[in-house]
Amino acid sequence: MNLVSVLVLAGIIIAVFAFFYKLYEILWDAVKIPLKKPRMKLDLGRRIYILIRNVFLQGKLFKDPFAGIMHALMFWGFIVFGAYSIDFFYVTIFAHQLFSPGILSDIIFFTVNIFAGIVIADVIYAAVRRWGLKIKRYQGFNGFEAAFILVLIGLLMFTYLVMSVLDMQGLLGGYTFVVRSGAPHYLEPISYALTYVIPKAPSSYVYYIFWSAFWIHALDFMVFLIYIPRSKHLHLFAAPFNVLFSTGTQATPLPIDFEKETRFGATDIRDFTWKDYFDFYSCTECGRCTDNCPANMTGKTLSPRDIIWDIRETVMAQGKEYRKNRENPDEVFKTVIGDPILEKDLWSCTTCMACVEQCPVMIDHVPKIIDMRRSLVLNQGKAPKESLDLFRNIESYASPYAIDPSTRGDWAENLDVVDLSKNPDANYDVLYWVGCVASYDRRNQDIAKSVTKILKKAGVNFAILGSMEKCTGDPARRTGNEYLADMMIRQNVETFKEKKIHKVITACPHCFNSLKNEYKEYGVELEVYHHSEYINRLISDKKISVKALTSDSSEKYTYHDSCYLGRYNKIYDAPREIIGSFTENFQEMEKNKSKALCCGAGGGRLWMQETEGTMVSHKRIEMADKINASTVVTACPYCMTMLDDARKTTNREDKMNIQDLSEVIAKRLE
Amino acid sequence: MVDVIVLIKQMPDLEQVKIDSNTREPIVKNVPKTVEILSEHAVEEAVRLKEKYKGKVTAILLGNEQSSAIMKKAFAIGADEGIIIDGYEEHNPANTARVLASKIKEIKHDLVILGNQSADSITGLIPGMLSALLNEPLLGNAGKIEVTGTNVKVTRILEEDNIEIEVPMPSIVSISQEINEPRLPPVMQIMAAGRKPIKTEKIAPVISKGVTLVSNSAPRSERKKLVFEDMDKGIPEVVKVLKEGMK
Ligand code: SF4
Ligand code: SF4
Repeated sequence: MNLVSVLVLAGIIIAVFAFFYKLYEILWDAVKIPLKKPRMKLDLGRRIYILIRNVFLQGKLFKDPFAGIMHALMFWGFIVFGAYSIDFFYVTIFAHQLFSPGILSDIIFFTVNIFAGIVIADVIYAAVRRWGLKIKRYQGFNGFEAAFILVLIGLLMFTYLVMSVLDMQGLLGGYTFVVRSGAPHYLEPISYALTYVIPKAPSSYVYYIFWSAFWIHALDFMVFLIYIPRSKHLHLFAAPFNVLFSTGTQATPLPIDFEKETRFGATDIRDFTWKDYFDFYSCTECGRCTDNCPANMTGKTLSPRDIIWDIRETVMAQGKEYRKNRENPDEVFKTVIGDPILEKDLWSCTTCMACVEQCPVMIDHVPKIIDMRRSLVLNQGKAPKESLDLFRNIESYASPYAIDPSTRGDWAENLDVVDLSKNPDANYDVLYWVGCVASYDRRNQDIAKSVTKILKKAGVNFAILGSMEKCTGDPARRTGNEYLADMMIRQNVETFKEKKIHKVITACPHCFNSLKNEYKEYGVELEVYHHSEYINRLISDKKISVKALTSDSSEKYTYHDSCYLGRYNKIYDAPREIIGSFTENFQEMEKNKSKALCCGAGGGRLWMQETEGTMVSHKRIEMADKINASTVVTACPYCMTMLDDARKTTNREDKMNIQDLSEVIAKRLE
Repeated sequence: MVDVIVLIKQMPDLEQVKIDSNTREPIVKNVPKTVEILSEHAVEEAVRLKEKYKGKVTAILLGNEQSSAIMKKAFAIGADEGIIIDGYEEHNPANTARVLASKIKEIKHDLVILGNQSADSITGLIPGMLSALLNEPLLGNAGKIEVTGTNVKVTRILEEDNIEIEVPMPSIVSISQEINEPRLPPVMQIMAAGRKPIKTEKIAPVISKGVTLVSNSAPRSERKKLVFEDMDKGIPEVVKVLKEGMK
C-alpha cells in the first residue's frame, strides 16, 4: 500500500466512524428514552407499496412537479453514485476494481456519467430556485446548510468529471487510482462530449489537476458522510424507514387508557413514540407542509414544519443531556409546549391534514399537535375560553350547543321520520345519523331536511335516533379533551350495540370519520356512508332522478372539499359526480381535492374565535369568487357554517350561494 | 392560612326547563340538576385562595344522593371536603339560610364564600340572611378577594365604580361572576375526585316560616311577528311601532 492508499483508508475509517457514531446516538435516544408505543400493524402489502411509490418512485414529491423531478433525479443519481463511490475508494485502497468490468459495472458507470451531468445542472437549478427565484417556502431558515450541501454535491460531480475527462483524453497513463480507466467511450457519453469542448491540458499541469480533483473528491465524500447525519440530510437514511414504518392511521391520535396512565398527551420528548422520532429525523425542512397550511397561509404563526423541527432539535439537545445524566430524567426532559412551541400555535390548527398530505417523507404532524393539545387540556386544564364552553356543553347537553337534548329530533317534526327515541320498536334498514350541527343549527337543519326528502323519495326505510343521538366526541377529541371524547364515544357505542345498529348514513364528514374509522377501537363495526356516496349511488341506481339544469342557465357550480371527507377518507369523486348528474356548468377552484383549502372549522375551531391573521373561510370564498362561482356546493355542516358566514361578512350575498349537496339534489328531484 | 367554606347551590338545568303552556309555571320535574353557575365561580375562588394562602376548602351543598356529581366537580376544582345536607327541599330563602347557618357554625372558618344570587330564583337574599344569623360582616358583589393577616380585603363591583373594603375575618363574601373564570380541572383531579368520600348529613324537614312563594310563572309574550324587509323603509317603521308600543 502506498501513502495515498493509507491516507484515504484512514480518512474513510474516520468518516465512517463519525457517521455511524451519530446514527448510534440517534438510535440510542429512540431506544433508551422511555417512549410511548405507536399503533403498528404488520400490513406488509401496504408497506411495500408505499415504499416503492414514495421512496423509489418519489411519488409524493410530484405534488410540486418541478421540485419533484429535480429531487427524484438527485435521489436516483445519489444511489448510483453511491455504488460508484464504493468502487472509487476500493480502487484507491486496494488498487483494483470492486465491480470488475462487466454488465453491472457498465450499468453503474454509464448511469453515473449521465447523472453527473444532470446533477450538476440540477444543482445549478436548485440554487436558482432557492436564491434566484426566492421561492417562499424556502425562506426564513437554514440557507447555509442547503448551500453547503449543494456545494458538496456539485464538487463531487465536478471532480468526478474532471478525472474522467482526463482519463478519456489519455492523459492518465501512469495513474493507478482511476475507476475503470480506459473504459469505452459509449460508457461515458457526457465525458466524451466534454472532450470536444475542453482542450487537452499540457502534460505538466496534469499532475496538479488530477491530484487536486482526486483529493477534493475524496475529502468531499468524507465530509459528506460526516455531515449528513448531523444535518437535515439525515433524511437520506431516516426517510425510507419512516415511509416503511408509517402507521396508516395518521389521522387518529393514540388511544389513552385513563385507568392506567397518569400523564396524558405529549408534554416532553418522552411522550412521543419511536415512530415519531423517525418523523423528526426524516424532516428535510422542505416547507411543503407549512406552505399548504391554511393557518399559516392566513397570517397565523403556526408552522407545521417548525413544530416538527423544534421537537427534533429538542430531542437532539435533551437526548445528548440524557446520555450524560441518566439519573434525573425529570430534570433533563422539559416541556416543549410554551417554549419552543407556542400554545397559540397548537390551537390554530384546524387538523385539516394538508401538512400530512403534502409531506414527501410521510410525517404525521396532526396527531402530535392533538397530543400536545391533550397535554394542555388533560394535565393542566388549559384551553381557549370558548373551548371550555364547548366542553361544558358536550358534557351537559351531549352537543356543542347549550340546547335541551330532548329537542334534538325536533327538526323532523311533521316530516314523518321514524324517531327511535320515541318509537323504539320501529322497523328500519338504515340509520340516518344527523349530527349536532344539522340537528340544532337553523341553517344546517335544511341539510337534515333535504337528506330526509331524498331518502324518502328513493324509498329508503330509515330512522333517526332523535334524543338518543349524542355528539360523536369528535370536537372534544380534536380539541384535546380525550376524556370527554371517550365518555361520548362509550355512550354512543352503547346505543349502537343496544339498538343493534349496523348500517349508517350521515351528512357530516366529522361524524362520518369518527363512526367509520374511530369507533372500531371501541368495539363496534359499522357500515358507514357519507351522504355524498349514498346519494351518488341512489342516482346511478336510478332510485331517484334529478332534473338537469337547462343549458341556458347562467349558474356556475363549484365544489368545496371537506377535509374530513377528502384527505381523511379520500372521497373526492362522489360529490363531483353528483353535481355532474345535472349540470356541466362546473369549475374547480384553485386548490381542490387533496390540495383543497380547509374552511377553517375543523379541530374544534368551529367553536373558537379566529382572531390572529385573516379568516381562512374568507380566503376560500375569494377563491370561489375568482372563478365567478354562483353556487359553492359543500358536503359538510362545518364548511356550510364557515362559508355561509364568509359569504355574508365579505358582502357576497347577492352573487353567491352556499348549498349542501343534499340541498341541490333535493331541489331538483323529479 | 385561610379556611374557606364555600356554598354550592344546585338547580334544575334552565336550558331543559319547559313552561307549562296553561299555568305558565316552569316544569322542573325530571329536569337534570346542574351546578348553579355562580357557585362554580365561588368554588374556583375558594380554591384559588387556598392555593395562595394555604388552608382548607369545605364545600356545603343542599341536595340529595343524586347531588354527588356536583360535589365531585367541586372536588375536581380543588375543594378538600364536601358535605351534602340531604333532606331540605324547600324553596324558602329564610329557611335555607337557617339550615346553612347552623351547619356553618359547626365548622371553623375564616371566610364563607357564595354567589351573590342564584341563576334560578335570583332572590339574592341568602348572603344577607347568613350575615345576620352568623353575626359576621358581609362583603357583597366581590370582584376580587385578598387576605392580609387576619383581615380580608374585597373589591366590590358596584354600578358606577368599584370600592375596596377591608374587614376582620371571619366574614362572608358574596361574589359576582366577573371574579374569575372557573378552571377546567385536569383529568387526574377529576379521577381523584371520583374516589373522594362525600359526607352526607340527613336533616329533618324545617317548619316553614319567613319568605313565602306567592307565584312563579313565565310572562305571557305575544309576538307580533312583524318582518321589515326593506332596510331603508324598515327602520322608521320599527321606530313607529316601538313608539306606539310605549304608549
Ligand atoms: S393540520 Fe392543517 S392547520 Fe394543522 S398544521 Fe397541518 S396544515 Fe396546518
Ligand atoms: S415535515 Fe415534511 S413537508 Fe414539512 S418540512 Fe419536514 S419534510 Fe417537508
